[in-house]
Amino acid sequence: MAAGGHCRVVFTSGFSARYTGGVREFDVEARNLRGVIREMDAKFPGLAETLENETTVAVDGELFEIDFLVPVKDGAEVFFIPKIEGG
Amino acid sequence: MNDSVITESTKRFKWVGTRPIRPDGVPKVTGRALYGGDLRMPGMLFGRVLRSPHAHARIKSIDISAAEALPGVKAVITAKDFPDQKFEYIGPERVAQNFWHITRNVMAREKVLYEGHQVAAVAATSASIAEEALRLIKVDYEVLPHVIDVDDAMADDAPLLFEDMITRGVEPAPTKPSNISKRLEFKIGDVDKGFAEADVVIEKEFKTAAVHQGYIEPHACSANFNADGQVELWTSSQGHFQMRALVAQLLGMKIGDIRAYAAEIGGGFGGKTVTYLDPLAVLLSKKSGRPVRLMMSREEVFKGTGPTSGSSMWVKIGVKKDGTITAADGIFKFQAGAFPGSPVMNGCLCSFAPYAIENMRAVGYDVVSNRPKAAAYRAPGSPISAFAVESVLDICAQKIGMDPVQMRLKNAAHIGTPTIFGPKHAHEGYAETLKALQDHPAYKTTLGPNQGRGVASGYWFNGGGESSATIQVNADGTVLVATGSPDIGGSRASMALMAAETLGVDYSTVRAIVADTGSVGYTHVTGGSRVTFASGTAVVNATKSVIKDLCKRAAIIWDVDPEAVIWEDGFAKPAGANVGNFEPLSLKALAAKAAATGGPITSAASVNAGGQAPGFSSQFCDVEVDPETGKVTILRFVAAQDVGRAIHPSYVEGQIQGGVVQGIGWALNEEYIYNSKGQLDNAGFLDYRCPVASDLPMIEALLVEVPNPAHPYGAKGVGEVNICPPMAAIANAIDRAVGVRMPELPMSPPKVRAALDAKAGA
Repeated sequence: MAAGGHCRVVFTSGFSARYTGGVREFDVEARNLRGVIREMDAKFPGLAETLENETTVAVDGELFEIDFLVPVKDGAEVFFIPKIEGG
Repeated sequence: MNDSVITESTKRFKWVGTRPIRPDGVPKVTGRALYGGDLRMPGMLFGRVLRSPHAHARIKSIDISAAEALPGVKAVITAKDFPDQKFEYIGPERVAQNFWHITRNVMAREKVLYEGHQVAAVAATSASIAEEALRLIKVDYEVLPHVIDVDDAMADDAPLLFEDMITRGVEPAPTKPSNISKRLEFKIGDVDKGFAEADVVIEKEFKTAAVHQGYIEPHACSANFNADGQVELWTSSQGHFQMRALVAQLLGMKIGDIRAYAAEIGGGFGGKTVTYLDPLAVLLSKKSGRPVRLMMSREEVFKGTGPTSGSSMWVKIGVKKDGTITAADGIFKFQAGAFPGSPVMNGCLCSFAPYAIENMRAVGYDVVSNRPKAAAYRAPGSPISAFAVESVLDICAQKIGMDPVQMRLKNAAHIGTPTIFGPKHAHEGYAETLKALQDHPAYKTTLGPNQGRGVASGYWFNGGGESSATIQVNADGTVLVATGSPDIGGSRASMALMAAETLGVDYSTVRAIVADTGSVGYTHVTGGSRVTFASGTAVVNATKSVIKDLCKRAAIIWDVDPEAVIWEDGFAKPAGANVGNFEPLSLKALAAKAAATGGPITSAASVNAGGQAPGFSSQFCDVEVDPETGKVTILRFVAAQDVGRAIHPSYVEGQIQGGVVQGIGWALNEEYIYNSKGQLDNAGFLDYRCPVASDLPMIEALLVEVPNPAHPYGAKGVGEVNICPPMAAIANAIDRAVGVRMPELPMSPPKVRAALDAKAGA
């Protein structure tokens, strides 16, 4: 993919303990959520499926369901959190 | 604009923000609306469900032979008729679905885990024959010890619902099974350091009762399994797409072989996002070769369907004398009911969310016990933790002598404030609700003896996600808007208003419907306060596509480039004087030329909507406590909520009033009363006391509008956050009225009276 800006990918402590060896933060180059997930999957093979199925993502605090097209600006914080569902 | 609307925006709309008469009103008030139990088909059978009389028992055998032999009985099913499911949690933790559990909740297998658990079902030519057939089914039970209360269920010697359940989320994993399904922990900062910095530290334990969603219409569905394997399903649910998927998984069918229709729905509040009857009806129809209708009685609803969790909680908060919160800590233990999956994660995440606190921790436990499986209920989890947190905050405010609204304002979360779950807040809205209370003329009025004023706030994420919409322009220029969202809170009116506004046509020419799964794209449930935001975005996108198409058609008629045509106030117009001198073309005129300009005018749009913005609500209430009886009377209730922009303000006010009323019931009266055998003793609206109109003052709704830029008209979800503050607001008001702190819900007259007696005797 075309190079984008750098973003900071963050996981919860519980998620990082399970999937990323306890490392919570990563610097990733991407221009959208697909790029973020692809980069993380390259670091931890299989992680893409987990992220797509188990998380909601907050990009600079704005909540999104996993949607590859969500843009990620240079310097953004991309925080993966457990999915939320209402009543 | 109505006086209740407090808006930041001066932008005026023609239709958005108006209050037309609801389009679903006439069929409902004339009794013509078709609910789940109203469908009639030739040859339709009557279904009935056999339920467990025991709270906990092993099923040794089930003999259905006598029932099958009864004349008029066409089908009998038990768990043996369902394929078993793999034990795995599929999907995210909060909504992780374990179909091994779901199939056992839909039809008990090895054990029954609560009174009312579905054990078998029959379909017969009359309701009375079906009832008689249930009596002929012989179930041999080995009754087991049971446990109802969450703290009792966590005890080392508690009877186990699942002998092999090991608590998830604990490292290293426990070696001994328990009823604790899962432990969660969220934290930021250093709570010990934060408490050391505080001038006042308050900690307290709380309990809340499980309460039912209390929808008026019981669960109901009808199914028709055709000879070619194609199924039609009419269901009273918050998501017919979801019911279709659940039925397919539970019965081993293809999704494409099921077409689900959304019946008119008489309330859901989260409780109709799960399935109980749908797979049974489909299976009975398959087995009998006839259409089958299933409908619960009110007793079955209470005994067999999910309430929200009851809880046991501990909360500790430290504040400085100037009101700054330095640390907050909480332990939240939620009943999941008979299978794992309480909303405890939401309870943890929402607990301190309205506030900017540097040091926070929330620990949650998901605990099974012999009660119906908990289901979502309006902001699931958040009202429970809010009761504890907002009660402790009020004690803190009293200790330091600070106005409770002012204290919340001092600590209010703003854009950039970190949340306990990690991301920073991206939206304002909370402080604005508090200011709306401060500015309310009644907030400063003086109260009389035994009267008190309580304040509380709440937070809810709100939802986005997948929705679809289609638009059809009819030959006379009228417009049909179809979405896949069952209309529970007035979405048909809201969708039509947004389409009319976008098109620039009269609202009366736009009709909105709820389409079946074969007629519109996938749409997630009507829940999470997501429909106006997500489905509304799909409707506006589809409408914009229609406008683009209409401009192209005008260009064909005028023989100009499509870019030379604009859409304005319901007309196609030349973009400028150089385009040519053309009379604007109305939607009606273009619709009349549809065939000549390319055929029917339609469009469809689907979205996975994000950036939904959370909901904040702040409320105050005035109560009077009768010292003789302990009865609490609500004198006044004012609820301010950030709604983004109210598309149809009357519906928004109705959502706020409804949420507050449900909160009042949760606060004062509603609870499940179990006898020593674990059987529910109050499974009816006479004994399970929901508030009625005569119990209540007019709930005053203040619509605070801080528009959400991620929605075409600024809308935010409005359906849920309003139920978060009432329990604590009332508890705080009682304390300020008569000086007793009520740590347990419901705060019913006997409990208030006992607290008053204890205070007098102290």
